[in-house]
Amino acid sequence: MSLFGSFTLYAAFVACAYALAASVAGARRRSTRVIESGIGAFYLVTALMTLASAIIVYAFVSHDYTIRYVDRYSDSAQPLFYKLTSYWGGLDGSIMFWVFLLSVFGAIAVHSNRERQRELIPYVVAVIASVQMFFLFLMIVHKNPFATYLLEIPTDGRGLNPLLQNPYMAIHPPSLYTGFVGMTIPFAFGMAALITGYLDDSWLRAVRRWTMFSWLFLSLGLTLGMIWAYEELGWGGWWGWDPVENAGALPWFTATAFLHSVMVQERRSMLRIWNITLVIVTFFLTIFGTFMTRSGVVQSVHAFGEDPELAMLFGIFMVALLVISFGFVIYRLPLLRSRNELETWVSREGAFVLNNWILLFSAFFILFATMFPTLSEAVTGQRITVGPPFFNKWMIPIGLALLFLTGVGPLLAWRKSTFNNLRYQLQWPMFLSIVTMVGLYAIGFRVWVSGFCFGLCAFVIGTISQEFIRGANVRREATGTDLFTAMVGLVMRSRRRYGGYLVHIGIVLMFLGFAGAGFKQSEQVLLNPGEQVEVGRFSVRHDRLSESDDGRKQMVTSHMTVFKDDKEVGELFPARWFYRKHETEPTTEVAIRRSVSEDLYVTLAAYELGDQSASFQVTVNPLVNWIWLGFSVLAFGTGIALLPESAFAFVTAQVPSGAATTSVFILALSLAAFSIPINAQVAEPTPESYVTESELEEQLQRELVCVCGTCPHYTLADCKCATAAYMRGELKEQVKQGKTKNEIFHYFIDQYGSQEPLGAPLDEGFNRLAWLFPYGVGATFLLGFATVAIRWSRHNKESKVSLAIQPEDAKLETRLDNELRDLD
Amino acid sequence: MSSEISTNSGSLRQWHVVVLVALFASAVGVVMVRPDSPELLVLLVAIFSSVAVVGLGIYRTVWPLTTREFRERTEMVGSRTRAALDQKKTLILRSIKELEFDRAMGKVSTSDFEELSSHLRARAIELMKQLDIDAPNYYDLIERELAERLVKTDKGLDPGLLAARQVCDECGASNDIDARFCKSCGLHLHSQD
Repeated sequence: MSLFGSFTLYAAFVACAYALAASVAGARRRSTRVIESGIGAFYLVTALMTLASAIIVYAFVSHDYTIRYVDRYSDSAQPLFYKLTSYWGGLDGSIMFWVFLLSVFGAIAVHSNRERQRELIPYVVAVIASVQMFFLFLMIVHKNPFATYLLEIPTDGRGLNPLLQNPYMAIHPPSLYTGFVGMTIPFAFGMAALITGYLDDSWLRAVRRWTMFSWLFLSLGLTLGMIWAYEELGWGGWWGWDPVENAGALPWFTATAFLHSVMVQERRSMLRIWNITLVIVTFFLTIFGTFMTRSGVVQSVHAFGEDPELAMLFGIFMVALLVISFGFVIYRLPLLRSRNELETWVSREGAFVLNNWILLFSAFFILFATMFPTLSEAVTGQRITVGPPFFNKWMIPIGLALLFLTGVGPLLAWRKSTFNNLRYQLQWPMFLSIVTMVGLYAIGFRVWVSGFCFGLCAFVIGTISQEFIRGANVRREATGTDLFTAMVGLVMRSRRRYGGYLVHIGIVLMFLGFAGAGFKQSEQVLLNPGEQVEVGRFSVRHDRLSESDDGRKQMVTSHMTVFKDDKEVGELFPARWFYRKHETEPTTEVAIRRSVSEDLYVTLAAYELGDQSASFQVTVNPLVNWIWLGFSVLAFGTGIALLPESAFAFVTAQVPSGAATTSVFILALSLAAFSIPINAQVAEPTPESYVTESELEEQLQRELVCVCGTCPHYTLADCKCATAAYMRGELKEQVKQGKTKNEIFHYFIDQYGSQEPLGAPLDEGFNRLAWLFPYGVGATFLLGFATVAIRWSRHNKESKVSLAIQPEDAKLETRLDNELRDLD
Repeated sequence: MSSEISTNSGSLRQWHVVVLVALFASAVGVVMVRPDSPELLVLLVAIFSSVAVVGLGIYRTVWPLTTREFRERTEMVGSRTRAALDQKKTLILRSIKELEFDRAMGKVSTSDFEELSSHLRARAIELMKQLDIDAPNYYDLIERELAERLVKTDKGLDPGLLAARQVCDECGASNDIDARFCKSCGLHLHSQD
C-alpha cells in the first residue's frame, strides 16, 4: 500500500513537471495541442493526488501501522471521524493535503477560465504546477507520508494529540488550508498576466471571486481557531498572538487589502502595480506562514535545528519566489503605469489607499513582531519573547483606526467629495457615536478603549444603515416601489457593494466582542468544597470533585453551582482529562455558561483529590459571543457578494458556520509536542500557586510569560503547566520581598539568562529595534504614499483639459442615455 | 446533426473503456482484499475510482497530441483591444451611474457633479465612436471565429464549406453560403450551386 502511495506521489511529480514544460513550450510555440496536453497533465495531477489521498485515508482506516505517519497520528481506539481527520493531523499529511487542495482548485480555475482567458491559461498552469512541484518535491525527498518502518512494526498507533480531538479542529485546518491554497490561484493568474503582458483588468476579474472565496475560508479558519482556543485551551481568551495564529492572520490582512484596492483598479485603473504586488505578497505570506510554523524557526532556535533541511528547502523556494515574481513586476513596469490619477484625497480612492496602508502595516508589524525573537536570538544570542502585551499595544489603535475608516469610506464619493457633502453624510453617524459614548459614560462605564470602540461601532452601524436607507429611498423614488422592495432591489443590483457593507456589519459585531475583552473580570481562587467565589454578577460554589474513566481517558471533574444575582441558575462541570498514551498532557475541559451579554467561563487549574480542594480560574467574558455571531454575518455578506454566478458559494456561505479559526495552530501544537522533548517530569501544579495576593503580583502574572517551551508563551496567569506554577511561586516570593516591578523583571532576566520570561522585550539595546520598527515602517510607508500622492497630483494638473461635447454628438448622447438606462 | 452524435459517442467509447476497466478492477480488488467493514469497502472503491480517473487523466494528456482537432491554432486577432475598449466603456457607464447615485444620496456637490459628469459623458461618447468605427471588422471576426468553432465541434463537416462566404454583387456585403437574399440590401443572390 505504502509503495503504491509513494509511487502515486512520484507520478504526480512527473505529471507536474510535464504540465509545466508542455504549457510553457506550447505557449511559446503557440501550439494548441501541446498546451491542451499540458492542461491534461494538470488534470492528471488532480487525479493522482485524489488517489494518494484515498490511499492514505484507507491506510488510516485499515490500521496500517507499517506506515510511520499512520502510527504517529492515529490509534485503533480512535473514532472513525478522527481517523479521517488524522490525514491532516501532522506535517507530512498536511503538505499532501495542501497539494491535493491546490490540484483541485487549480483544475477548477483552469477549467472555468479556459475559454475566457485563453492567453493566460498556459502560464497559469505552469505557475500552479511549479508550486505543486515544490511541495511534491518536499514530500518525496524529505517528508514522505508513506514512509514505512523497516523493522519493528508497531501493533497500535500512538494516537492523535488529544487537543486535536475536537470537532472544531476537524474543520479548522481544511478551512484554513482552503483559504491559504485558494490564494495561489490569484497569484497564478497575476503571474500569468505579468508573463504574457496582458495586463488589462481581465485577470483581475478572473481572480476576484477566488480571492473572496479564499478570504471567506481564511476568515472561517481564523474564527474556528479562535473558538477552539477559547473552548479547548482554557486560558480564557481567544487570541494569544501565538506565531501560529499570526501566520494565519498575515495573508488575511493583505488579502483584505487586495479586496479593497481591486475596486480602485476596476473603476479607476489605478493602483495596478500595487494590486499585483499585493497578490504576490499574499501568496508569499501563505508560504511564509507555512514555513514559519512548520520548520520551527520561530518557536525556538532549537526547533530550527530540528529540521534545517525543511527550513532550507522553504528558504530557497521563498527567495526564488520573490526574485522571480518581483523581477517580472519590474520588467513589466512600463505596462503597469496608472491610467488615471487621484483627483483628491477626500475621495473613496483616497480612503482605500489609506486603508490599504494600515492593513499592510498590520501585516508587516505582525510579521516583524513574530519573527523578532528569532532575529534577536540570531543577533544578540539572547532569547526574548514578544508576547500579547506588545502586540496589543499596537494592534488596538490600528484596529480602531481601521474601524473608523470602515465607517468613513462608504460615505465618500468616488473621485471627489466636498466638505459640505461630507458634513451632511457624517452628521447622523457622528451623532449616534457621540450619544453612545456619552451614554456609556453616564451609566458609569469607565474602560476608555472599549468605550471608544463602542462609539466607533455605533458610528459604523450608523453610516451603513444610512447607506441602506438613503440608497433605498433613492431607488424607491426612481422605481416607485415600497421601501423594502427598493432595498432588496438595491442589494441585488450591486451585490458586491451591499454584500461588502454586510461584511462590515459582521466586522463591527466582532469588534463589539473584542471590546468586551477590555472589561473582562477574572479571579483565580483556591476553593475547598462548599466555598464560593464572586466574579461580577456571578458567584460560583465548588461542591466536590469526582473521578471517572471511560476507557479512553481518565476524567477529574469538579461539580460547581452557579448563582447569578444570588439566585441559583445552574451547574458547571470544569474538568481535566487524561487521555491514554498522552497522560502527561492533560486537557483542560472548560465549563462555559453562555449568554448574549457575557460568558461565565470556569477552568479547573489544579486539584487535590485528597481534601477535594481545587483551584479555579473563573472569568466573566463580556460580549464574547458577538464575535462568532459577527462571523456569521460576515459570511452571509461575503455570500451575497459572491452570489452572481456561483450559487454554490452562496450556499456554503449561508451556513452560519458560527465559528472558525486560526490556522495551523493545531498542527503546530501537535508538531511542537513531537519536536520538543516534554519537560522531564511534568508534575501537576499545586492549587495554591494560582492565587494572587497583591495587585502587583496579579499585574505581573499577566506581563510575564511561561517558558516551558511546550506552550506558545502563555502569560503566567493563563498557563497551566508545572513550569508556570514554579514561576508563579518565584514571582510570589519576589513580590513578598517588596521588590518593584523593574527589580522583579531583572530578577527573572538573571534567573533565566535572557528576557524570555518577559511578555514584551525591555526597551534597550538591540531590542529597542522592536519598539522602533513599527515607527520606522510607518514613516517609510507614509513617505512612499506621500511621494505617490505628489506625483498623482502633479499628473492631475497637467491633465486638466476638459473634454467638451460636440454638437454633432447629440445622437450619440441619446444613445448614451439609453444605454445608461439599460445598464441594470 | 446526426454526424455530431456519432462522433461524440466515438470519443465517449474510450471513456467508457476506462470506467469499465475501473469497475472490473474494483470488483477484483474487493474480492481479493475482502474488506471487513463498510467504510473500508467505500474507501477501496474510492481508490479504484481514483485509479480510473487517473487513467482518464493520462488519456486527456495524450489525446491532444494524437488527435487532428488541435492542429490549427485559433487566433483571436484584435479581440483583446476591442474587449478592452468595450470594457472601458462599461466602466465609464457604470461610473456615470454611480455618480448619479452618489448625487442622489447627497455625497457630491452640484458643481462637482456637473464637472465630473460632463467629463465622463464625453469620454463615453469618444469610446462609443471608436467602437463604432471598429464594428464592421468585428463582425467579420466573429463570423470567422464562429466558423472555426463550428469546425471544431462538428468534425464531420468540411471546414472549407463553412468558412466559405458569398459576396453580394450589389453592395459587397458578406453573406452565408446558403443565403438566398443579401442580408444587407435584400437583393437576390445568385448561389454558386
